[in-house]
Amino acid sequence: MYNSVSYRESSVDFYSLYMQKEQIGRMRNYNLNIAGYNIRIESAEDGPDLVPSQRFRRNIIQNPEYDVCIRVHHGSLKPKDDSERLFVAPYVVEINGYKITRSDNFWSVYRQNGDMLLITNFPESPSGKKAMLKFSLALREWDLWIENAGSETDPLEYPLDGLILYYLTAINSDIMIHASGVYYNGHGYLFSGVSGKGKTTMAMLWKNIGAQVIHDDRLIIRNTDGIFRMYNTPVYKNDIPNNAAIDRIFLIEHGNENKMTLLREASSVSQVIANCIQHNYSQDMIARFLGSVSMMCSKIPVATLSYKPDRSIIEYILRNE
Amino acid sequence: MTDPKAVFSHSPDVVTRKTGNEYVLVPVANNIADMESLYALNETGAFIWDLLDGERNVEEIILIFAREYGINHKTASEDVISFLNEMSKYLIIKI
Repeated sequence: MYNSVSYRESSVDFYSLYMQKEQIGRMRNYNLNIAGYNIRIESAEDGPDLVPSQRFRRNIIQNPEYDVCIRVHHGSLKPKDDSERLFVAPYVVEINGYKITRSDNFWSVYRQNGDMLLITNFPESPSGKKAMLKFSLALREWDLWIENAGSETDPLEYPLDGLILYYLTAINSDIMIHASGVYYNGHGYLFSGVSGKGKTTMAMLWKNIGAQVIHDDRLIIRNTDGIFRMYNTPVYKNDIPNNAAIDRIFLIEHGNENKMTLLREASSVSQVIANCIQHNYSQDMIARFLGSVSMMCSKIPVATLSYKPDRSIIEYILRNE
Repeated sequence: MTDPKAVFSHSPDVVTRKTGNEYVLVPVANNIADMESLYALNETGAFIWDLLDGERNVEEIILIFAREYGINHKTASEDVISFLNEMSKYLIIKI
């Protein structure tokens, strides 16, 4: 029972829209559809003009309804003294395979009087932009203050885009995972691994035989009526919205031979979780997330896969369907 | 060396999920480094985990474990204490 061809239709629609939107400069508001989430971005009365970077423009839709609306303001807010810092992430870059911590305080999550606050720097911004997002796991209206935004800004600059998407997955009991995904001959294959495990290489091998690459780095997985679908998100400037049902999950690593080992029960769940994006400061969030991954692993076979980076791995996978 | 009279319980800062006869354990974390610590317990580990109820002491758990799996006391003791040492960083607390 597959429903994997719908991405072809949606891709055409999005691309057509993208061609129109390429001409658009500053905006006061717009809506994005990313992984099926409808995200409305609107500038507050005194807020900056909005200029989404090119990678988002294929996700722009003409639909005023939204799952979450983010109002963008100028300025900065700091958490109050009585706020509680729940989570902090360092800024880590990878150079020649080595992970180097550039900053211990890249972004943080605080709880303040029932509000959730996310404070982040933008390492790719030359203007020293900083932001604070006041968000909620229950309410659909969020506020974003951007410091040093100038008269126009991309409100979803890295890392804010991924963080907002992560919280949308958490709210919806979905899953965000380090993985590449391909759709070939009516089947969806997901290849998960952290950096350096071969996600991009695997996606390229499948692309070479004509498979549709959903994405080569990061996917959102959503459960719709018992069907788990993988969606791409705009990471690169040429990403086109895509999705496909998942039939197999592989936890990959490079090897000298092609070898697949089916995982069972807790092993499959824990090894999939190890590759997922997760902010585990809340028991409720962990419990919900564990439930989603457990459900997925009970429906979709999960296997470890060491592989040689050549076409033989594709034949091996297809032979072992 | 673990005191045979010591009593352990699950940490309140760990979330568990049972799948079949196995457990996945995820500790609450306040940074990304801590999140790399998650555990899958096989059937044997899950059996010991269920005995860590804040009431039975280590010696009692060793005896139950030895009886359940038909192994001698020395082997059971080594397995249980090894398990407790592994769990002691994030997942269990001494009462």
